[in-house]
Amino acid sequence: MLTIPTQDYRRSSYRVPTRPLTGLDAFVNGFVGKHHRRAKILETLRLDAEKIVAQEREWTALSNAELQTRLREFREHFRRGGKKAEDFVVPALAAIREAADRQLGLRPFPVQLMGALALHRGYLAEMATGEGKTLTAGLAAVLAGWTKQPCHVITVNDYLVQRDAEWLESFYHFCGVRVGFVALWMGTPERVKNYGCDVTYVTSKELLADFLRDRLHLGKMQNPTRRLIRRMLAPDLTVQDGMVLRGLHTAIVDEADSVLIDEAVTPLIISASHENATLRTAAVLAQEMIGVLQPGVDYQSNPRYKEIEMTKAGLQKMVEQAAQLPGLWQGHDRRLELVIQALIAREFFHRNQQYIIEGDKLVIVDEFTGRPMPQRSWREGLHQAIEAKENIPVSNPAETIARLSFQRFFRCFHKMSGMSGTAREAAGELWQIYGLPVITIPPNKPCVRQQWPDRFFTDEKAKWSAIADEVVKVHATGRPILVGTRSVKTSERLGQELLERGLTAKILNANRLSEEAELITLAGERGRIIIATNMAGRGTDIKLGRDVPALGGLHVIATEWHESGRVDRQLFGRAARQGDPGSAQSFMSAEDELIHKYLSQPVQKILLKAWQKSLPGKQKMARRAFKIAQNKAQKMALKQRRSILRSDVWLDEALSFAGGDTI
Amino acid sequence: MDKTFSESWYRVANQKICLRPVVKVRRQNFRGERWFVLENPFSNQYFRIHPATYEFVARLRPDRTVEQVWQECLERFPDAAPSQEAVIQLLSQLYFSNLLQYDLAADSAQLFDRYKKRKQREISFRFLNIMFMRFPLLDPDRFLVRTMPVAKKLIGSFGALLWILVVGFGLKIVAENFSGLRVEGEGILATNNLFLLYIGTVIIKALHEFGHAYFCRRFGGEVHVMGVMLMIFTPMPFVDATSSWSFRERWKRVLVGAAGMIVELFFAAIAAFIWAKTAPGIVHSLAYNIMFVASVSTLVFNLNPLMRFDGYYILSDLLEIPNLNQRASAQWRHLFERYLFGVKSSETPANTRREAGWLTVFGFAAGIYRTIVFSSILLIIADRFLIIGIVMALVCLISWAVVPVVQFVKYLSASPRLERVRPRAVMVTAGLAVLLIILLGIVPFPHTFRAPGVVMSSQRMQMASETEGQFDKVLAQPGAWVKQGEPLVQLSNPRLALQIINTRAHLAEVNARLLQATDGETPDVAPLVRLRDSVADTLQKLTVDDEHLTVRARQAGIWVLPGVEDYFGRWLPRGSDLGLLVNPQAFEFTATVMEADAHALFAQKIHNVRVQLYGDAATKLSVSDWRVVPGGQSVLPSAALGWSAGGEVPVNMDENSQGHKSAEPFFEVRGVLAGTNHPELLDGRSGKITFQLPAEPLLPRWTRSLWQLLQKRYQI
Repeated sequence: MLTIPTQDYRRSSYRVPTRPLTGLDAFVNGFVGKHHRRAKILETLRLDAEKIVAQEREWTALSNAELQTRLREFREHFRRGGKKAEDFVVPALAAIREAADRQLGLRPFPVQLMGALALHRGYLAEMATGEGKTLTAGLAAVLAGWTKQPCHVITVNDYLVQRDAEWLESFYHFCGVRVGFVALWMGTPERVKNYGCDVTYVTSKELLADFLRDRLHLGKMQNPTRRLIRRMLAPDLTVQDGMVLRGLHTAIVDEADSVLIDEAVTPLIISASHENATLRTAAVLAQEMIGVLQPGVDYQSNPRYKEIEMTKAGLQKMVEQAAQLPGLWQGHDRRLELVIQALIAREFFHRNQQYIIEGDKLVIVDEFTGRPMPQRSWREGLHQAIEAKENIPVSNPAETIARLSFQRFFRCFHKMSGMSGTAREAAGELWQIYGLPVITIPPNKPCVRQQWPDRFFTDEKAKWSAIADEVVKVHATGRPILVGTRSVKTSERLGQELLERGLTAKILNANRLSEEAELITLAGERGRIIIATNMAGRGTDIKLGRDVPALGGLHVIATEWHESGRVDRQLFGRAARQGDPGSAQSFMSAEDELIHKYLSQPVQKILLKAWQKSLPGKQKMARRAFKIAQNKAQKMALKQRRSILRSDVWLDEALSFAGGDTI
Repeated sequence: MDKTFSESWYRVANQKICLRPVVKVRRQNFRGERWFVLENPFSNQYFRIHPATYEFVARLRPDRTVEQVWQECLERFPDAAPSQEAVIQLLSQLYFSNLLQYDLAADSAQLFDRYKKRKQREISFRFLNIMFMRFPLLDPDRFLVRTMPVAKKLIGSFGALLWILVVGFGLKIVAENFSGLRVEGEGILATNNLFLLYIGTVIIKALHEFGHAYFCRRFGGEVHVMGVMLMIFTPMPFVDATSSWSFRERWKRVLVGAAGMIVELFFAAIAAFIWAKTAPGIVHSLAYNIMFVASVSTLVFNLNPLMRFDGYYILSDLLEIPNLNQRASAQWRHLFERYLFGVKSSETPANTRREAGWLTVFGFAAGIYRTIVFSSILLIIADRFLIIGIVMALVCLISWAVVPVVQFVKYLSASPRLERVRPRAVMVTAGLAVLLIILLGIVPFPHTFRAPGVVMSSQRMQMASETEGQFDKVLAQPGAWVKQGEPLVQLSNPRLALQIINTRAHLAEVNARLLQATDGETPDVAPLVRLRDSVADTLQKLTVDDEHLTVRARQAGIWVLPGVEDYFGRWLPRGSDLGLLVNPQAFEFTATVMEADAHALFAQKIHNVRVQLYGDAATKLSVSDWRVVPGGQSVLPSAALGWSAGGEVPVNMDENSQGHKSAEPFFEVRGVLAGTNHPELLDGRSGKITFQLPAEPLLPRWTRSLWQLLQKRYQI
């Protein structure tokens, strides 16, 4: 296939991110970010949206063919780019709006136009659940697709990727934009074809993995000039065949807070397993060795930091046993590392919580989503230690070939914008790291959700039975109920409780995406009870059944507060969408992980005492304690993300002699 | 503890890298431990590694991957081999030190970025060390190499012998002329000598730096940087002899460090010789100044290990603790973190107990010493230069006090090292701060202030001869108590006796003539009567004079006549000094209290006042009563108190004041001294009066002195 040099050049082009600012620079930059988020911006968006709406008449009068002709004209302007294209944004959006109406039967609301404008101008638009974010993204993606620069619309899972791309296909087609999507199951030719489209729907994981694979494929030929010279000297040895992407330029990120913040730290790793027999035998032997160690006597474990500290007695016992280890592991430091890893596996990793055993294979379970992650493995040594603990064949460690965190990857786009239901809390971070100013788009209709008072309990047991009772009570009125849980285990526990009370609930674990999405759409039907982990059914609206609004709409129960307040808000946002009625309530207990992990022992004790003695103001105090714990958790997470970014940048600089991975 | 495996390993695993071919490797022994020093002669950069690490580095070859080398190390040294994390750390450090060779084209943007950052760091470092700014100017290496044949002869046994001879000879001269040296030494900081002192310092310091340079070059180290350092705004030469750090033998490193002082002492001896052999003049003075700088300042500053001069590096080499200063700070941080903050994972930077001890002691001493030096530099600068002085002092204050405090607060609030013990760390720090505030702001400390003055007797009488005569004998014992009218000295005056006889005869004659005249004419009588009266008058006077030959005490008291033996046989004209009569019960100490201290005299109750005399530190005289002479004075009670006579009160230097007029007004305080056993020693002696004020906390006292200083200097 003939490729022109610029095309090849773009294939490996991405924005080289500037180094994160520190000190005074970061401080000043924070003010710049505030300036970008000032109220005036929203006002201009609103005025522009009004202008678009005002042009409605002009466009409804046109026939389909005429509209398409005009759309093609706009496309040419955007293709040429430059300042002039900006003048056409308002009429172009008016035309696209008309196209949406004709193709999808949906005429975008002014708030959706505001959202589309915000996306086009590089903002992170905060829009409440159910405000039609998919269509909003579609409007902006048409503008981006017209430029013919690669535009990626990024969503959280493969189901949504396919659903959105297919739903909007006719609309895109009408506007003269080729659309495609990439999902896990696709092979290389299919990927090439879809990435070749003007607009591509894809998950962040697939995109990053493809990006890394492309880079691996290029090897030492990262530099386009090098490739060009190579092609001139040796035309047969082209490396660009087999690449799937055509470069990174524009990204429109849906659920931006979860993609850019919550999951941003975990790096995507491309790995291959390699034979390492010594590690395998050592892991098994270490597991035998720690059999003699007593917790508290031979070692201390610290659950907050997931750390093990050996006592002198424990170290002594290890010395006695060292002889049976293979040579490499006999030395003090290596041995200690091995033993501690085995102890960590014993103390902090539990079956059916962090992992499950499928056949004789260890499968990691995402703690939050409850989703099994067969591709993932823990870091070298730990995975083996857990396998040894579970008495299943110890696998070879996976050797990393390429690795990149989402945090860094998303800094490589020339133009990025995003949408989210909850981003305000993270506005500072989103600006500092990604240069994304957050702007809150008001809802189309005011939200009438009732927030029922929080309920607190001293122990888990009381809490769960109270939740079950509450479900029974609300169910009796016929209202649909959605219960959000943190893990699969708690979902199942609640299901059990309900069963004892004669109710059956559907449990969603984010395992079978399309099926669950379907269930979620039905969650608004009368009398439904759905228990879902936080991630389950994301991106799917819960539409209320016919007579449900009259009963009071959907009721959402949070069984526990999450470490991040945003996740809680997302759950509550499921009720009372688009002006519908609805209510939400949280249940918390002093035994919740949030309290356990982030409040100091004395504070926990005081809280518990106050509660047991029913002191006045205990309600307020408990709420306050949870707030403090949540703040602490968020701060810690932020700090961790910062330090990971910093160490990533440092590593890049320090290892730039190795080249290759530099971003 | 490093993890054996690293998640970033893949980035280096397949790299084929090695040390640059120019990198030199040397072996060093430190505290019986073997180390390897990697040196890049192009950039003068050094890197010290452990043997186990060296085993890895040495195996790196352009035809083998890092992974292969690491595997080999693991097989050979299962326990000592560096972990993957350590390898990555090591490679990055080698890369930053420009010691690595790799086949990829260097990321020039990044290199440039690094260069820019280094420059920026240098500039900010220069401003933070504004008192010791360095400006590299030239590369003396070729000059050194060319002149080495001459220098070579001097650096060796011949040179050592010569040095011992010259310095020995110089010492001899100094010993012989010690008193002269001391006298001249008193004027070393006088204003008219400062220029010469500076010239002498520059000459000797240039020689000093060349000493370092030649010794370093002699042992094979390259010396590429020479320049000017602005030490407290005074340009001084400096040379960069860091290449000596890679010398394998310890004594060579020590010798290079000591070379400056060796050279200085040599020239000090020569200057001593010149000084001794020349008459006062410019050469004489210059030689003196050189001698002073080269010996005293060298021993006080250069040899002092607490400042970061030669002594520091010598000590560092002798103890075999490199980076003594940094590691002492690290040791102190460790002590704080481990024992006060309770950071269990904190590890001492010391390898042995002895080293830990050294680091602790050094850190403590250096910390205190540096605080003193820095605060005195601050005061001197603020004192000497007006507005600029304040600005400079502010800059110094920021870099020496504010920046460290801000850094500490940052460390306390955000350091990941304190992650788990932050509440305790904050509590301990707050506790210490409160303790300090209590100590300074609340706990009262004894408070005294001192003023110079002289002892004077309030009832003193100068004895003088009232008639002329020869000093014949002493009738009373000098130094003893005499009653009023008691004879003290017998003078003799033969002429006076003759005059009396003569006058008596004359009177008899006049009387006879008068008798005769009464028989005759009346008009002759009147003149004779007048003559008789006149002669009788003369006789009367002479008789009184005769009586005055026996000098009597005019009041009771102690008769003080210093050097009585010199008087015998001397002819004393009328009015000659015959000592003092003093009343030991009535001594007064007249002190000059400068205005800055005067507030204490008026504002506070004074408990206890005592006087201490110079040269008699053991006895403290108590003062029974004291008063302030109203109004500011400007004439000193004794010239001995003024600068011109070696006292401490600044005086006007113009001629007619004769060292009596003080430069600024003062308050005169008179205190009545209680009796003493040696009254004759007291009068006119100078000493200090100590006023004991009520105990007061230090902080208000300090703020008050600061305000007073500002007020005085800048009339704020």
